[in-house]
Amino acid sequence: MSAVTGTRPAVLEGERIPFLRHVRIELRKTVDTRASAWLLIAIAAITVGATVLPLFLSSDGSGLDWASFVLFASSGWSFLLPFIGVLSATSEWTQRTALSTFTLEPRRTVVNLAKLVASLILGIAMVAATYAAGAVVNVIGIAFFDGSGSWALDGGVVLGYLGTMAIYVMLGVGLGLLLLNTPLAIVAFVVLPMLVSVLTLIPAMEDIVPWIDLNGASLPLVDGSLTGTEWAHLATAFLLWCALPMCLGLYRTSRREVA
Amino acid sequence: MIEANNLTKRYGGHTAVDRVSFTAKPYRVTGFLGPNGAGKSTTMRMLVGLARPDEGEARILGANFAGIPNPGRHVGVLLDASATHKGRTGRETLSLAAITMGLGAGSVDRALDRVGLSKKEAARRTGGYSLGMRQRLGIAQALLADPAVLILDEPANGLDPSGIRWMRGIVRDFARDGGTVLLSSHLLGEVEAVADDIVIMGSGRVLAQGTRESLTQNGSLEDAYFAATGDDAREEGAA
Repeated sequence: MSAVTGTRPAVLEGERIPFLRHVRIELRKTVDTRASAWLLIAIAAITVGATVLPLFLSSDGSGLDWASFVLFASSGWSFLLPFIGVLSATSEWTQRTALSTFTLEPRRTVVNLAKLVASLILGIAMVAATYAAGAVVNVIGIAFFDGSGSWALDGGVVLGYLGTMAIYVMLGVGLGLLLLNTPLAIVAFVVLPMLVSVLTLIPAMEDIVPWIDLNGASLPLVDGSLTGTEWAHLATAFLLWCALPMCLGLYRTSRREVA
Repeated sequence: MIEANNLTKRYGGHTAVDRVSFTAKPYRVTGFLGPNGAGKSTTMRMLVGLARPDEGEARILGANFAGIPNPGRHVGVLLDASATHKGRTGRETLSLAAITMGLGAGSVDRALDRVGLSKKEAARRTGGYSLGMRQRLGIAQALLADPAVLILDEPANGLDPSGIRWMRGIVRDFARDGGTVLLSSHLLGEVEAVADDIVIMGSGRVLAQGTRESLTQNGSLEDAYFAATGDDAREEGAA
């Protein structure tokens, strides 16, 4: 049997699977297993816990306003949210579902980018939920804790939260795709940025660290107060920690044998 | 129609699949027979784009698998029934595949029905499934979109006798209706019972191939198999 020459095989005539359908699938995968559902529940629980914390820390009702509740809440999810990205990237390989996923859609990079977009959508939802939770607690603060209850909202800070979220979600997905091993990626995600922060203690590294320290470089984002040099610090740290692992990870997963 | 042309895969210095060529035709069940480690699974992975051939090429329905826009609609694949997320239910596993392929909501129920998994079983997480249940789930996924081609790696593994009988029926009906089936097994009897055409593999190479009739005209399939693989073993021993 020789290959079909001249005529185009009929199977090539169909429609490609739309990207948004892949995003929908990847979002669904973040809630349809026990591990991923528990992770979301844990994030929600920690976020709620962190949101109410100021109520009990303040003795005179000062600092009980919307912005403070959101600040505390964000410290809750910002630590755990990237794990969703890690899991999304690694579980295909650790659970071996890649076998089915990539026979249904051989364009592996499309699937991986859908994972990134789905994780970012979850992140945006998380930021929105944080503001909602903060608002509820603010009402409680006004009613029962003598809080000042200010509703002042700074647009720059909201963008800062969204930016920080996006950076850490990309870090999670990127390290996940690069390492394809859940515990290893989580350890890398937690430990590597810390190690860089520790480097600041070495005098010889003093000048270099701000350019590679993602934690330090992304802090001014939330203040909404980035200066020119700080933007440059953030850009280099972003390239090193988010863009580079992501590109290497996409390349690795696109070529790797699925067994 | 599946066409493998000179497929070759090397890992380091080891050649796992060595210039494998065969054709699986519509209306026929093609049995891929050989001991474990013969290169059957690696060949199947190359057919569906999960492994890159170092040489040669494969075509399914005249096309390179990775170039088919929505390949699940045309090619049903089951390479390893255990490769499901343990924390996901059977029904959800099928739903994800159905949504990916753009199938209607009824397709999952029909597929579950077809492989004899009850609603209750489908609602359980696959981590608690027996291997037989996983095979049924995997076959359900392969059949979801009513494809034209079925590629099944060791589908009889873990099935009880009635399950094996059922699986043979599915495969025969599929071919009778014009489908192309490629099914691998390391069990002689399994291939003999269901295959119209047989490809015997050993040590990464095709040792013999032909219709079941042509391979068994001088005796049983067992004789043909050992005539093919036995020679191979002696060569290896002498080398």
